[in-house]
Amino acid sequence: MSSEPIERRVSYLGDRLRGRRCQLCGKEYFELRDYCGNCGRKSFGKMEDIDFFYEKGRLELCTLITEPTNKFTKLGSYVYGIVSFHNGKVRVPGRLTDKVIRDDENVDPSSFEGREVVPRFRRRYSVDRSEIIPTISLAFTFADEYYPHLEYRPVKPKKEYDVPGIVGYGVYTSRFRIREGALERAVPFIDEDAITAAVEAGKLALIHSGVDSTLIGKVYVGSESNPYAVKPIASKVAQVLKLGEEDEDVQGVDAVDTEFACKAATSMFKDAASLVSYPRMGVPYAMVIGADNSQAAPRDSPGGELDFFVGFGGCAYIFGKADVIAELEGWYSCTSDTPDFWRRDGEPYPMHGGRFTGDPAYFKHIRKAAKKLMERLRLQPKDISYFVAHQPNVAFPVRIAKELGFKEEQYMPSLQVAKFGNTYSGSSPVGLAAVLDVAKPEERILIVSYGSGAGSDAYSFITTSQIVEKRQRQKMTVRYQAENPFLEYVDYNTYRRLKLGM
Amino acid sequence: MGNCPVIVAAGRTKFGEHYEKQPERLIEEAWLKASEEVGLERKDLEACYLSDYFLPITNKLGLEEGFLSEFTELHVPMDVARSFSSAFANACNAIQAGKYSLVLVGGIEKMTDRWDKIRDDLMLLEDPWSYYAGCTPEANHELMLRAYIRRYGINGENLEKLNIALAQVSVKNHLNALKNEHAQFQRKITVEQVLEARKAARRPLGLYDFAPISDGATAVILANEEAAKKLTDKSVYVLGSASATDYLSYPAREDLTGFIASRLAVEKALKMAGISLWDIQVLELYDQSTVMEMVSLEDLGFCPRGTAWKIIYESCQDYKGYYRIGEKKLYVNMNGGLKADGNPLGATGGAQIYEVFKQLRGEAGARQVVDDKPLRYGCVLELEGFGTKGHVHILGVKEPR
Repeated sequence: MSSEPIERRVSYLGDRLRGRRCQLCGKEYFELRDYCGNCGRKSFGKMEDIDFFYEKGRLELCTLITEPTNKFTKLGSYVYGIVSFHNGKVRVPGRLTDKVIRDDENVDPSSFEGREVVPRFRRRYSVDRSEIIPTISLAFTFADEYYPHLEYRPVKPKKEYDVPGIVGYGVYTSRFRIREGALERAVPFIDEDAITAAVEAGKLALIHSGVDSTLIGKVYVGSESNPYAVKPIASKVAQVLKLGEEDEDVQGVDAVDTEFACKAATSMFKDAASLVSYPRMGVPYAMVIGADNSQAAPRDSPGGELDFFVGFGGCAYIFGKADVIAELEGWYSCTSDTPDFWRRDGEPYPMHGGRFTGDPAYFKHIRKAAKKLMERLRLQPKDISYFVAHQPNVAFPVRIAKELGFKEEQYMPSLQVAKFGNTYSGSSPVGLAAVLDVAKPEERILIVSYGSGAGSDAYSFITTSQIVEKRQRQKMTVRYQAENPFLEYVDYNTYRRLKLGM
Repeated sequence: MGNCPVIVAAGRTKFGEHYEKQPERLIEEAWLKASEEVGLERKDLEACYLSDYFLPITNKLGLEEGFLSEFTELHVPMDVARSFSSAFANACNAIQAGKYSLVLVGGIEKMTDRWDKIRDDLMLLEDPWSYYAGCTPEANHELMLRAYIRRYGINGENLEKLNIALAQVSVKNHLNALKNEHAQFQRKITVEQVLEARKAARRPLGLYDFAPISDGATAVILANEEAAKKLTDKSVYVLGSASATDYLSYPAREDLTGFIASRLAVEKALKMAGISLWDIQVLELYDQSTVMEMVSLEDLGFCPRGTAWKIIYESCQDYKGYYRIGEKKLYVNMNGGLKADGNPLGATGGAQIYEVFKQLRGEAGARQVVDDKPLRYGCVLELEGFGTKGHVHILGVKEPR
């Protein structure tokens, strides 16, 4: 049933919830209408683009769906209803997402009706593995629960910097967790994947940075769990977030996916920073996203040891030279062909070199990159306020931090793996975000990523005074997501089911 | 109405699961029953109007006109519409225009041949965007019920009564179907069963609140007055026929507690027929759900908005075969409605017209309505989608029997 043109049109409209408003009478449409039904011919050319992507809606009416249509059966039971925007000017159908409803659970719709909701970008429904993955933003969560409503207000930059750096960032993880021992790991809801996490993280970064999305000239998405072997995540991000100037449904932005295991995103930090420094080509900002629904085989099968550590999430950074919160002081990258972790094309789960991943892989590359960068910048551990390393588990980053001479107060703030699990491409970026959430101005941060295969990128950032000003816009902090009262803990079987997706 | 179209005969199959029958067999059966009544041959037909929603999807027969032509060995004009009412209205227009004097209107659906996917098809037909957001064919009925309860501030004891009234709609329709040999379900049910099914579904409406998925065919033979005279002396006239449309997307509509398409259509149809709403004695409503039967009573104007449940509740406390509205006795869904008679979409409107036709001619057998006044006027309401289109036909006889 899947048809590429239909899929294109539905997702173009539905992912962003695009609409039009008649400038004559104010009537709004969830649809790209060229003229208004009220005003007729005279409204031609008077329809302005609107969308509901960053808006807050209200769940007007709802009911429990216990017998979904064929493509929704993997969701089990769910709540479906009518959502209104702009005080009822526009009403759309919508599904409540992020709810696991048991087969015997009674749901009282009146406890949901009237509440404020925010759109989530999710998978629309199940299709065959060979088909285009359908997405939509007609999925909603309550504004007073895990995901608050965040206003997106592009602001005029106040200050230009000589050196490029981070202008804004966003961390997106799910509301679900699995807890085993001391480790908590983020579990995607069944309609999430690396694509949806990348879009949501990018959205949060735009909100935090206050950067006008049309000024972003390039977007990189690093992932090792792209549900497609061929088709970029970055194109979806560009389209949904309207990156670059939109001209006749095409975005004026370069969008590309990168892959290098867990350093696919961090590798592009320097590229993004370099690009925004290039004069005259009109790329004032570039976005780098790392997003993964980290893959792991079931526990009892080969590669299954990863199943104890994998998480889910996305992290996005916007680089630029205006209103910078952390200047990029320098970098060092190193690479060797070390086969410690891999996934062959067509295989669902990665394989793992067991003990080979430690000394000859993780430690060797991180040590090299960190030492070389510190040498180049003539830094001692005491010159560095925070140390961030790739976090496949708790032991590795702690051991390398100590070895490099860092103290607990330097490496602990970035250590997030025990809260979210290993978010692969998002792992060290989430650690960096946790530091940026709390850092004071004029502090130096050393981040060293690691990607199997293998290589490391070390970066040194120095925070600016604007980090504090922008913080009020960052409600979805790492801590907020780690210590949220609306977290829902699931058992192992549910975790595997949700992770597998719809 | 000048050159008023006349129904001279009607036929139908039993509705239900006809695993063993091809769609061609079903439509043949309906046609044969209708034509037998008036001794017609296929070659007497000047045109055919066929209705089906899903035949090309469910049975992949190719162009319906082609298989009909092959089957009837006719080469007359044939047209295919979606709902029976659409086909019927087109046929009426042609007769009124003087183009044809004798035509066949047939409806057919074979939903059980695609049992596993038909709910998805139905939902996509109702509104793709609602489908994309996770809607099911049942969900909109439940949302309408919730909107209704909210708008009219129904709570406490009244809410309980409303819920029972809706259950009674289903019980009443099943009761009526006991006397309908063509009905899909000829089985009595109780209010408790309806309520139990809702509880089991954990939803405000349950299995017994919804019409089933059915196979079936219906046929009506339409003529102009002159041709009709030669065929029958029990003519049933199509006095008024009108339709109206509404947005595809239910959430986007202004009023969530009823169907504007029904309201507009009945107004026009009554005007055309030149009668008052209160002249209508027998009424076939499109009860895809019990909620639809309730709101349709209001949409057509039989009771003020927000009150139909009271009429139903009070009438069914001691059900005598009709809804009592003040002094008025309104006979509704005497064939069992879509709930119990069955709902083979493209044929359903034909069964509704069949029922009013039989009632007005006094040929409804065990379920024949005996009103205080002789039966003179009947009305059919057929909806398409979730109220995206509303058709109203007003049928009448000149000399009531």
